[in-house]
Amino acid sequence: MSYRPRAVGCLQLLPLLAASAAPLSHLIAQHARGVLGGQTVVAGTVTDPIPGMGSRAEVRLLHPVLFSGWSAAGRWLTLRGTFNLEGWVVPGGELTLGAWGEGFIDRRHPHTYVHELLAVAEVGTHTHGRRALSLAVGKGFAPFGTDDPMMRPIFKYPVNHHLSQILERAIVVLAARTGPVAIEAGLFNGDEPDRPGQWPAIRRFADSWSIRSTLSPWPGFEAQVSRASVASPEHRPGAGLRQTKWSASTRWVRDGRTAHGYALAEWARTSEAEDQFVFTSVLAEGAIRLRQHQAYARFERTERPEEPRTGDLFRSMRPHLENSILGTTRWTIYSAGYRITFASPVRGLALGPFVEGSHGTASERGTGFFDIEGLYGRSTFWSLSAGIRLSWGTLGHRMGRYGAAVVTDDARSH
Amino acid sequence: MRPWIGAAAVALAASGCGSDGGSTGPSRVLAIVGGDNQSAKVNQQLPLPLSVSVMEGGAPVTGAIVNWSVFAGSGTVTPTSTTGSDGIASVSYTVGDVPRTERVQAAVAGANGLQVFTATALPIGSFTVLGGGNNVSDRFSSDLAFHGSYGYTGTWGLRGLNHGDAIKLWHLDAGGAPNLVRSVPVEDIETVSDVAVSPDGSLLVITAEGGEGSRPGLLVYSLADPADPVLVGRHEVAVPGLHTGTVASVNGRTYAFTARSPGAVDPALQIYDLSTPQSPAVVAVVPVPPVYGIHDTFVRDGLVFAFVWNTGVQIYDVGNGMAGGSITNPVLVGAVTTAGTGVPSGGPSAHNGWWFHNPNTGEKRYLFVGQEGPVEFGVSSSGNIHVVDVSDLAHPQEVAFFHLEGAGSHNFWMDEANEILYAAFYNGGVVALDVSGTLQGDLAARQVARLEPAGADTFVWGVQLHQGTLYAIDMLSGLWQLGPSGF
Repeated sequence: MSYRPRAVGCLQLLPLLAASAAPLSHLIAQHARGVLGGQTVVAGTVTDPIPGMGSRAEVRLLHPVLFSGWSAAGRWLTLRGTFNLEGWVVPGGELTLGAWGEGFIDRRHPHTYVHELLAVAEVGTHTHGRRALSLAVGKGFAPFGTDDPMMRPIFKYPVNHHLSQILERAIVVLAARTGPVAIEAGLFNGDEPDRPGQWPAIRRFADSWSIRSTLSPWPGFEAQVSRASVASPEHRPGAGLRQTKWSASTRWVRDGRTAHGYALAEWARTSEAEDQFVFTSVLAEGAIRLRQHQAYARFERTERPEEPRTGDLFRSMRPHLENSILGTTRWTIYSAGYRITFASPVRGLALGPFVEGSHGTASERGTGFFDIEGLYGRSTFWSLSAGIRLSWGTLGHRMGRYGAAVVTDDARSH
Repeated sequence: MRPWIGAAAVALAASGCGSDGGSTGPSRVLAIVGGDNQSAKVNQQLPLPLSVSVMEGGAPVTGAIVNWSVFAGSGTVTPTSTTGSDGIASVSYTVGDVPRTERVQAAVAGANGLQVFTATALPIGSFTVLGGGNNVSDRFSSDLAFHGSYGYTGTWGLRGLNHGDAIKLWHLDAGGAPNLVRSVPVEDIETVSDVAVSPDGSLLVITAEGGEGSRPGLLVYSLADPADPVLVGRHEVAVPGLHTGTVASVNGRTYAFTARSPGAVDPALQIYDLSTPQSPAVVAVVPVPPVYGIHDTFVRDGLVFAFVWNTGVQIYDVGNGMAGGSITNPVLVGAVTTAGTGVPSGGPSAHNGWWFHNPNTGEKRYLFVGQEGPVEFGVSSSGNIHVVDVSDLAHPQEVAFFHLEGAGSHNFWMDEANEILYAAFYNGGVVALDVSGTLQGDLAARQVARLEPAGADTFVWGVQLHQGTLYAIDMLSGLWQLGPSGF
């Protein structure tokens, strides 16, 4: 059998395809909208103490993210892809005392390469206020809690990342909005990733759910309450405990020609095993920007589980062998920073040098085995970071809200 | 009439109303005057009566009828008693048949509220500390094993900056009290997850776990000199390694039955031939479902009981002959999924077990299964003991359970001749259960002794009978020698 005739046939179809595609591309050019952007941070961090005592200084390329999106006319269909390259540049995670999750402790874990990849279909009207209905399908954030910390002003992630966001799941999210009220309900897989290259366990899709209601009574202000039930997030085969999660927050953003304000206050609670394990968090952060100068601060008090650590004191045993922890610790952290943003000589590239400091204390809640001073040498700590954020093109959305859940005046907080 | 005159008149009237007289006004005051917070062994009467006083207007009430009832526990109390001229009413109280905290309430007409007495029903027996304790502080302790006048205990996790990369070597004195001789370091591991001595006493076998960069697996030591274990063989296993290992003889050869990689995607029952200790050889690998996989094994009569977490218990013929199985070809004989009750959020969480051969009756009827629920080390634990009737090994059936409030079971040992099961219960300490006769339903009344050897800091991993006394290994405080008494 010869394949040549078929190949020739295909080639003969090309002009036809090109002809048919031309009107479509014309249509897209007229009405559709594509966005592309990216960011990364080059930063050095000094932290004292670290697990094993002493201090550590690191310079790393961090938060490398590519954003891409395409919206059809009228936004009835949006495709979104967010790609995170941390798995390549910081496979060992980012030095962040207090951070935990996905097998890392005191280093924030790298996210998966495909951070978001989803399609959002939306129908709606703007008569008598905005009314909309949307369906998001793909990989992304479950409708729960607050925005991804990467899209917020403070450089270092908060301790509460795994209490306040549910991300990188296979999701189906239905959202409805009428005027200032939005309701989202989502189904997803409970398992969180074990490594950057891992996809959600599709066989576990719909073993977990979440619901979030958001009220946006005034421009720039919103309040949300959300609840989630997440099956075995830390054990992919599914033997882990189910988490019951709550989150409540208020968020305010004010965008002016020269001034920009942002504030967030949140409370989160995650419980397991009928409240045998309970972890809570309160967090307040804010930022103000005048022209290119931005000052920001955060207060956080968050409880985290202490898991058995491996020979690498920044890692915990994964996968888990059973449902046990060594105790619970409470992290109280004050952070503040300053950033100046300006355009670079390279067209479209913005530069944002910054300096950021944190001071905090860790304490043991209860009588668990975990001994803070035995591991760190003391219970107070500080961290200082300095670096530069580089961003290009259209930066990402808030990460965590899709379709009808997006307020039209939504803005990122950077 | 002025209000104060009215109040004075009421007070005067009340002071004259010294007898019950059917008064039901809310002015009576009921108070405990004696008998609170006592204890007695199960089914025994408290040493002192429970006593309350009834006062009205500051004066004792004579003839008031006090109603008594038990609202927590199974004790017995006389339903009513009458106050005497001193305003005091008393009853005796007999605690119930289950060791636990009990509560008795007293009420009287005309008084606001109740009074509640607390009593403790104690087990019929007790443990006394004979020796040891507070003897390991550098690392968390794990499992234990003995041979002659020497003991070997494992170390676990990370305490301070010390990983569980050592074996503690103990010498037992003439009275059996353990004295720490030294730590035997084990290179490139992070936890000694199990410790066992071969039936002939020639080998010490440990299983080891660890994270990336470690070399977990099976390690075999010669006990030619039991005071100086010498590493002679090692078989490495992929991270996280081996969770437990049981050393037993089958048809005259010695094997290690290990639980491989409980949490990983490829957990398995992995069997080693220890005929050549220098090179332990894997002779069989039996995959199990990856929902926390396999945690422990019990081997007897050529049968392996594998405790496979939420899958339950699996019974394999590895030489018994009943199903044609062999060491190299284990054949599944029967299985049972034990109840998920006993732990928050449920789940069988089958962790360990013991097949009871009763030398007094010849029965081989009961398999005791430990359920390990969620644990916050140092704070809380959960999990019952489930009793499975294995009279028909092909169709085992759960028939009874034991629940200890506020604590969860871990490893077992049995005094089969005396029909006593000893169980480690983490923060609940050490529990002794009378397992004689027929076992059915709730075995709460079978608890004959319990001890938290280190008080509030107790977190017991395992127990073992050796040379007539009981040893308990506590994760925080080390090796204890306990003496059972009264049962």
